[in-house]
Amino acid sequence: MASRKKVLLKVIILGDSGVGKTSLMNQYVNKKFSGSYKATIGADFLTKEVLVDDRLVTMQIWDTAGQERFQSLGVAFYRGADCCVLVYDVNNSKSFEALDSWRDEFLIQASPRDPESFPFVSTPSAWPVSEEQFAVLVVIGNKIDVEENKRMISSKRAMTFCQSKGNIPYFETSAKEALNVEQAFEVIARSALAQEEAEEFSGEFSDPINIHLDNERDGCAC
Amino acid sequence: MAGPVKYTPPPSPPSPTASFYDISDDDEDEYNTIAHARSGRGVKLLYSKSKVYVHPTPSAKDNIAGFIALIQQKPKPGPNHSTTTHSRNDASSFLLAWVPEASLGDAYSTYVKVDLADDDSPPRQRYLVPPLPTTTTHRDPIGLYSFAVPVSEIYSLLVRPPSLGWWFGSVVINTRSGDSFPALFFHDSECESTILQKKKRVRESFDPFDHDGSLFWGGDEVLRWLRTYVEVQRSSVDRNVYLINPSEEDQLSFGRGLNAGDGTLSKAQPEATAAGPNAAGQQRDASMDPFMKTLKETRWKVLEQLSKITTFTRRTANEIADNPRIPPQVRRLMKNPEVQTLQDEFDSARLYLARWAMSIAEQGEKDRNQRIWTAQDVLESENSSVGDFEILELETGNLAIQERRRIVTLAEWEGFFDPVSGRLHLTVEEVKERIFHGGLDPNDGARKEAWLFLLGVYPWESSHEERQAIMNSKRDEYIRLKAGWWERMVDGNSTSEEYENWKEQRNRIEKDVHRTDRTIPLFAGEDIPHPDPDSPFADTGTNVHLEQMKDMLLTYNEYNPDLGYVQGMSDLLAPLYAVMQDDAVAFWAFVGFMDRMERNFLRDQSGMRSQLLALDHLVQLMDPQLYVHLQSADSTNFFFFFRMLLVWYKREFEWGDVLRLWEALWTDYFSSSFHLFIALAILEKHRDVIMDHLKHFDEVLKYINELSNTMDLVPILTRAESLFHRFERSVQVIDKKDNFPAPSAHQRRPASSSPDSAGKGKSPQRPTVGSSSGVRPPSALQQAIDKDKPKVISPELRELLRKDVPWRRQQTS
Repeated sequence: MASRKKVLLKVIILGDSGVGKTSLMNQYVNKKFSGSYKATIGADFLTKEVLVDDRLVTMQIWDTAGQERFQSLGVAFYRGADCCVLVYDVNNSKSFEALDSWRDEFLIQASPRDPESFPFVSTPSAWPVSEEQFAVLVVIGNKIDVEENKRMISSKRAMTFCQSKGNIPYFETSAKEALNVEQAFEVIARSALAQEEAEEFSGEFSDPINIHLDNERDGCAC
Repeated sequence: MAGPVKYTPPPSPPSPTASFYDISDDDEDEYNTIAHARSGRGVKLLYSKSKVYVHPTPSAKDNIAGFIALIQQKPKPGPNHSTTTHSRNDASSFLLAWVPEASLGDAYSTYVKVDLADDDSPPRQRYLVPPLPTTTTHRDPIGLYSFAVPVSEIYSLLVRPPSLGWWFGSVVINTRSGDSFPALFFHDSECESTILQKKKRVRESFDPFDHDGSLFWGGDEVLRWLRTYVEVQRSSVDRNVYLINPSEEDQLSFGRGLNAGDGTLSKAQPEATAAGPNAAGQQRDASMDPFMKTLKETRWKVLEQLSKITTFTRRTANEIADNPRIPPQVRRLMKNPEVQTLQDEFDSARLYLARWAMSIAEQGEKDRNQRIWTAQDVLESENSSVGDFEILELETGNLAIQERRRIVTLAEWEGFFDPVSGRLHLTVEEVKERIFHGGLDPNDGARKEAWLFLLGVYPWESSHEERQAIMNSKRDEYIRLKAGWWERMVDGNSTSEEYENWKEQRNRIEKDVHRTDRTIPLFAGEDIPHPDPDSPFADTGTNVHLEQMKDMLLTYNEYNPDLGYVQGMSDLLAPLYAVMQDDAVAFWAFVGFMDRMERNFLRDQSGMRSQLLALDHLVQLMDPQLYVHLQSADSTNFFFFFRMLLVWYKREFEWGDVLRLWEALWTDYFSSSFHLFIALAILEKHRDVIMDHLKHFDEVLKYINELSNTMDLVPILTRAESLFHRFERSVQVIDKKDNFPAPSAHQRRPASSSPDSAGKGKSPQRPTVGSSSGVRPPSALQQAIDKDKPKVISPELRELLRKDVPWRRQQTS
């Protein structure tokens, strides 16, 4: 059933302010680093066309403001995300500790309330997926170019965390030195595409269920 | 073949007047009797130029080579002959013609001879050629056939000089009846006479350029020919347009601008000043170059005209064509079949075109800022549904606008105050009006003073001495506040939880200050080592102003602990500090600014939500069409205005424009929510592009985000002001209507929806919450009746009329 139509993969980057979300996005899409990005206000995105296993996909990468209070208005772009990239700064333990709440935020905002984007969540038995798998997550520890003695979070600690959260893929990068950025986003693209295809696939089977859900909603309005 | 020579060379220079060349009675007799070999009649070929092409298709192989020529024929006899104006009469005997080489036959050699006649002045020798069918309309859009247009019928020439490396120079004849003939392209490199004329120029002046630096080309010659006989006036509105024998009316609307002089040329002026395109024209050519490559050469004139009114959709084109305000020249152009074809053809490239048109229009706006705004200027830069409205606005106060836009200098500012007491002797409204419209002088220190009033540090009614006292105590308080966090945090007199929170705030501030306005020289330097070796910026260094910024923001964190530091605040503080250059003064200015901006930074984001909602209502009322479109694009959350509203367009305009905008907004001159009218003005400016091309939320957001640093502030301010007035009037109209509801609906209302209205004492009017004038909420029935127009002024909208700042934080002093 693999359709050959052109796919748009929506990827959203979350994480504390100043961990390098904008820099990662620009390094990946434009192959550029600038020390003088301004703090992101609101949201913006860049697009990049990539080949994933001979399939041409367009990645739409959303960059968001890091301060938590600005997230509440951002539900609009959580919707329909195929993959979420959680970023922290390996030299800043606070930003690492915040990963959990960023992850929760995304899961709450993006999936359960949005059955259209994640139809298989409401498909009872066809997809025995654990909670950890239904939204594709990737964790990136950024700024590994900074001298070793400033590093606060070891690779081991980060990997343990990711394993405990259902084997979230983990990458360490430097947006400044372009280290590992390409590799991380390749996995992100692959994961997002798998997610997109899973939705397509389950969509075919869950149609009646969706109708049922719609009826229920209509029922309330009557 | 030439007729007998009976001609005295005219004295030259200066060029004689046209009447001098009128054919004398003698001439005329003779002229009449000369018979051309074939046709039996002949006309005088005054000038010709070879290798002038029509390009009927984009393919070069289809180009048709020909001659452009100026021909003199015997004036038509008629009863009106003696009563018509002299110059018109002259002009009617001259024909500007184009003939394909292939159709010339025997006359070819004559055309070549005239072309090569090495003569700047009118030809000594008279050459006769077969008459050409006189035409005044252009029926064949391909233009395969020759034409000869009486010069009296020519309204204007659209003259486009060659641009370096890309296209040929060209001339388009526009007639008084509104037709445009096909563009004639001057292949100068093939044209022997042009090559010779260029060489001659180099020989004589060692300079192939004319006095204003333009390269000589074939089209210059055509203008020179015409100037010999008629008045040729370069339009100041469009530098590529040359009006032929313009009427006074034409001159007013199209011709001499206020900066004329360089634009006005007539036959009486010496040849040396005959201008080619000026530098501005050249610039425009260059800027259009890459775009034009995608177009068919023959069509440039149409696009150029279109770009002025930035109208690419048929819908608007028709509107424009029917609008009686539009100058007839433009209206005619819009109805030209060629324009229509073009619109169809480029439908697919519309987004690109629209963006480009927008940029051209903006450039045009910039150019025009040198002059007084006229209604026509606005019209040309408008492409929105509110265009008409703004014309009305501007027509009523045209001259006043420039006066009002005069900048407020420190001297003028100081003049507002009594020299002895230092109290304001104008009304606050008067001062605000001046600042709103004129802005404060950015260079003479006026802002340093005036901003403290606008931001509430100084009361408007204060005296000089009172202000000094205020400033002294504010300085003390700043020191006290700053010492407060310093002692607790840096000297370690705090609980560990307090300290952790403070450290988090400090790190946040640190990160943001180091990425705020670093392109401004004041904040650029990294000349001192960072005081904290653990800072992520320890390696890059810092400067004293960045450190002051951090201290001020930490002090604000101390001053307003409930709010603390939130991202975006550093953007708001930087301009204040840059202007004040004094940390204590800048701090209190910032406190004043934050009093009104605080709602943007609340944890629950309620302030941002309410402003986005007000914007939603505003667009619904002011541009329902656009609103419906935004709805269909899932964009009525107006999230794409989040950044603009959060930091008041700080990221959208250049630094200088931001300062100018903020001081206008601080006045609350029309409304304390004027920043929402700025948003509306931006939206309206781009409404056609949005409606025609942007179908999804992400597209809208991207488009709006990318407007950053492309916008020119003053036109947006002007537009926002117009929109505010229109909004005010709309509210009045709706309020009036609501006071006189349809009687039938009113009578049925108690039975259907208001069971308790039997109580006679109760007013049927239930005032809307927050509404000052008691707008009646429509009943269900009424709503059903006016389903199409549920126009009620919501409390959110009514608040936009207020000049106070209702959400302002209560001063804690």
